[in-house]
Amino acid sequence: MAETTKRDGYIKLAFGPRWKYIAVVRGFIQNFLAVSLADNAKADKIAMAASELLENAVKYASEEETKVQMALFPDGEKAMAIAVSNKATPESIAYVKKLFERVMEGDPLEAYVAMMREAAVRSDGKSQLGLVRIRYETGCKIFLDTTSDTVTFRLELE
Amino acid sequence: MNKLSIEPIKQGKVAIEVADKPDGISVIITGEIDMQDPSVILDPLFDKVHKGALSSGIKVVEADMRALTFLNSSGIKALAKWIMTLASAPSDKRYTIKILHSKEVTWQATSLPTLTFLVPGAVSLE
Repeated sequence: MAETTKRDGYIKLAFGPRWKYIAVVRGFIQNFLAVSLADNAKADKIAMAASELLENAVKYASEEETKVQMALFPDGEKAMAIAVSNKATPESIAYVKKLFERVMEGDPLEAYVAMMREAAVRSDGKSQLGLVRIRYETGCKIFLDTTSDTVTFRLELE
Repeated sequence: MNKLSIEPIKQGKVAIEVADKPDGISVIITGEIDMQDPSVILDPLFDKVHKGALSSGIKVVEADMRALTFLNSSGIKALAKWIMTLASAPSDKRYTIKILHSKEVTWQATSLPTLTFLVPGAVSLE
């Protein structure tokens, strides 16, 4: 997330990959956005999206620490942006890239319904529904940035 | 105890109760489902409801989610799995799932309507 862009407000959080902290962070993000945007429904949607990204980060991180950055912008093409980063193995990064391509293909609702049908018969314990849910339910633009050992998902909302 | 003899569940932040209705049963889910693997509680529950409904000739199963304040995508998977079992149920024994939701709860207004697309005619939303 660009540090030089003019921001109305921002937060940065880092926490150890413990499942129990996700609800705490989700609640914090919801409150932060509800106050900042004065729009509870939008705050709820972004908090849900953040929660899904955090679940993935905690499940698949290769090291301790998940990072969350969120910023609100006074004008321009986007109103807010949120980024969730975690360390990952090369195998996990390749898996995430492939999943991301699949999620971003075609119509958002059709992709969601198709992946729900697939999830219903999966036997590996995964749902693979978090990203496709975010895409359909929030209407956010979703970006995936990777390095050799880091995965970052960024969401931007107009 | 309800007609399917399904015990109530209380685990973490979620509570689930099955209650009799004149035309079927109601599965009432309250609290939050945000645990890492909700299938551990939801899959066996929905399996009991499904088999019980088929064997008892129940035609309507109500899923009352109005007081469920959060559901993660792993929970959505469990719901999808339950709904998809209806596609392979014998047509003469098939029941419908009536989801009760609150439009005031954002996740319910955005997430639950998508479940009606999984098996045509199997799920309604009120």
